[in-house]
Amino acid sequence: MALLEVSNLVAGYGKVQVISDVSFSLEPGKSIGIVGPNGVGKSTLLLTIAGAISPKAGSIKLDSTNIFGMRPEDIVRLGLSLVPEGRQIFSGLTVKENLSLGLTGRRDKKGSHEAVARMHELFPVLSTHEHHQAGMLSGGQQQQLAIARALISDPKVLLLDEPSLGLAPTVIADVFERLREIIQMGTAVVIVEQRANLVTSFADETIVIRDGKIQSRLTPADASNSDSLNRSYFGAGD
Amino acid sequence: MIQSILDAISLGGLYSLAALGLGLVFGVMRLVNFAHGELITIAAYTLVLTTQFPLLLSLVLTICVTAFVALIMEFAIYRRLRGVNPAIMLVASFGLSTVLQRIYEFTFGALPKSAVVAPSLSGVVKFSGLSITISSLITIVLAVVILLAMGYLVERTSLGLQLRAASADFRTARLLGVRSNRLISSAFVLSGVLASFVAFILVIQNPVVNPYYGLNITILALVGIVIGGISSLRGAALGGFIVGVILSGLNTVLGNGRVYSYTWLFITVLIILLVRPGGLLSKGSELERV
Amino acid sequence: MRHGGVTKFSSQNLFGPIIIISALTFFVGRTSASLQLITQFTLCYFMMVLALQVFVGNSGVLSFGHGSFALIGSYISGMLTAPINIKGHALAMNQLWQALVPLHTNIYLALLISAIVSALFAALTGSLLMRLSGLSAGIATFALLGVTYNVFFNNKRIGPGSQALPAVPTISNTYILLLLAVLAIIIVYLFNISHTGRTLRATREDAMAAPALGINIYKVRLIAFTLSGFLAGLSGGMYVHVAGTFQVQDYYLEFTFLTLSMLIVGGSASLWGALLGTIVISAIGQLLLMMEQDLPIFGIHVHIPLGSRAVIIAVAFVAMLLWRSSGIVNGKEFAIPAFWRK
Repeated sequence: MALLEVSNLVAGYGKVQVISDVSFSLEPGKSIGIVGPNGVGKSTLLLTIAGAISPKAGSIKLDSTNIFGMRPEDIVRLGLSLVPEGRQIFSGLTVKENLSLGLTGRRDKKGSHEAVARMHELFPVLSTHEHHQAGMLSGGQQQQLAIARALISDPKVLLLDEPSLGLAPTVIADVFERLREIIQMGTAVVIVEQRANLVTSFADETIVIRDGKIQSRLTPADASNSDSLNRSYFGAGD
Repeated sequence: MIQSILDAISLGGLYSLAALGLGLVFGVMRLVNFAHGELITIAAYTLVLTTQFPLLLSLVLTICVTAFVALIMEFAIYRRLRGVNPAIMLVASFGLSTVLQRIYEFTFGALPKSAVVAPSLSGVVKFSGLSITISSLITIVLAVVILLAMGYLVERTSLGLQLRAASADFRTARLLGVRSNRLISSAFVLSGVLASFVAFILVIQNPVVNPYYGLNITILALVGIVIGGISSLRGAALGGFIVGVILSGLNTVLGNGRVYSYTWLFITVLIILLVRPGGLLSKGSELERV
Repeated sequence: MRHGGVTKFSSQNLFGPIIIISALTFFVGRTSASLQLITQFTLCYFMMVLALQVFVGNSGVLSFGHGSFALIGSYISGMLTAPINIKGHALAMNQLWQALVPLHTNIYLALLISAIVSALFAALTGSLLMRLSGLSAGIATFALLGVTYNVFFNNKRIGPGSQALPAVPTISNTYILLLLAVLAIIIVYLFNISHTGRTLRATREDAMAAPALGINIYKVRLIAFTLSGFLAGLSGGMYVHVAGTFQVQDYYLEFTFLTLSMLIVGGSASLWGALLGTIVISAIGQLLLMMEQDLPIFGIHVHIPLGSRAVIIAVAFVAMLLWRSSGIVNGKEFAIPAFWRK
């Protein structure tokens, strides 16, 4: 049984339907990338899976538990965390406070101290800036904080919405290195990205979304083949 | 002169507590709870109707009743209005306020209820030739204590952290596991507790309670949170304090013209809003999160 | 889900409300003298609700300050038409203001003047306030109401202060008020479908995108605010000529809340919503009033305790908001139901 199973998901806001039929499944320790043109609904997809937006139809199962229609605060406690687009850290709160908030969603409250220590190890910037206001960190540092904050609740599945947004290439490489470490530690990861090349070569499988549906599925081999990438992005014969 | 300054500070403290009560609920729900005044009113009624009990018991009872009414407000009405257009929420809270006023009128009658609460606290204390009202001193002390307690709660407890986070970005807070229903209920209970203290201070000086007892101070508290900065609890407390000080100052300075103190107050408010739409503690032309 | 509102002329959208309001005025006004008076007051409230619809409905910005325009409109119309000796008594002895006493004219000119002055006042205050949005705008407009009320209530030199100014001539013919209401409906409708109206609604939906489209939010809001001030002033003028006396308290909190409720219950996004909301709230209020005094329905005497009417109205209002937050009509204009059109 897959860790995260999304079937025929229909999602959107109010009367507007953004996602009309998306299905994918994620195994433990694996990663899936999601790419597609701007505004196609990639963020909506992640927000819906995480529970921030009510899904309209279809099914979402986390480790065989049906999480369709559940509240986000309950989904976090079942083991699925989202790092939102734009990071959305609380700039008025300190780094330490941001991280503590992440602990709210932890199932196992007893392991909190160890979890904090582990995050500090993984992301040393958290120690150096522990009592600084989160809004004063650089983009890359904020991204690390956002990931740590989502990770500290010990999720089985981690969703990331455009982690490379607004970051310099070296910083991006750094972030993705840490993501690789996280995956190796056993967390399954879903990454939404604008930079198709980046995520296609990184993830085990990448799905391309267009017009609310899955256009094609790519593998890392396709990353170097710009022809197939372009075709899936823009559609053959368009 | 000293009395005037004390009056200004104590009125500022009082309004600061009132504004904080409004600010707590606004922070987590983006809702201006006009019915907060009715929380103050029911607290006042409870205080005035329980004078036969020892003061402490009366206070505890008042806090319980008020917090309970606040929870009912949240559960019965506001929970169903989450995510609705803020203008609608504002008018709905006005409607709820009217409903409660009518219910009070129905229950307690239109004629005011009155009883002397804590007689030891009215009167004056003499101090190197000056005569200072005890109530203004008590108000200042009480306000300081409560503001410090609230400050501790907000800055150093887990609940306070969740409140601050939710006020800044409710959706992200939920994505991290903050339980929205519990948090909002907590905010309402806290606002009820604050309302109780506001009522206590008011009732010492004016024990004549009618169904509209809390209306005036709520309007001014609302003005306070907007000029202080709607996006922070500190702003709310500050704004309330400023409104209280200005109003008290105007009353003293204007003498016979003091009927116009509201005019000057509102003009000041208009100026502040035109110069800093987000409130004094905001960063200038911050785009409204309403 | 808010609708964008109508964009092109549709006769049923315009004539539907006109026919309905005319029919209701005709039938209800005939039943009894007291209902005739109620109808007249309702037409005044409706004028104010229209004023609110023009601004609040189209811009999405809440205004608590329109009562001040009604107050000014009513004051000017009242002062211009009240008998000179009454005015002399009402104003305190003060040379400057006593010069106002001899100014006198007929009702219709007075109404026009008062509406225009209110519009000017709205334009003036709006030039400052239209920069604000959301809660700040709500508070600022409330402050405007507060200042106006406070000044007029306490100042005996420019007006009667907290006393009432009596003997203001009344308009006894309901159809004149109806005519004014119909004219206002036409004006509001034309504004709503005009370019300015549509532009303003665009800012309601997305205030951040609007400037990118070259829209000057400030300007379109100011235009709507001024027009809305004109109508609000007119509503005040109409009111003082129905009540027969000018009282500052008539235009303060209860008036503000009542008219805002009428707009919101009906649905602020459309003209039809404004009318329906006014009708519903007036009707319910009237019905409950009659029930307090024992109303026979189909032979059963329905009686509610004195004082409960106010509770019931307020409860119904809140319940209505819980049920349909965008108002009964949900943003739509008047349309003949589909199965009738065949």
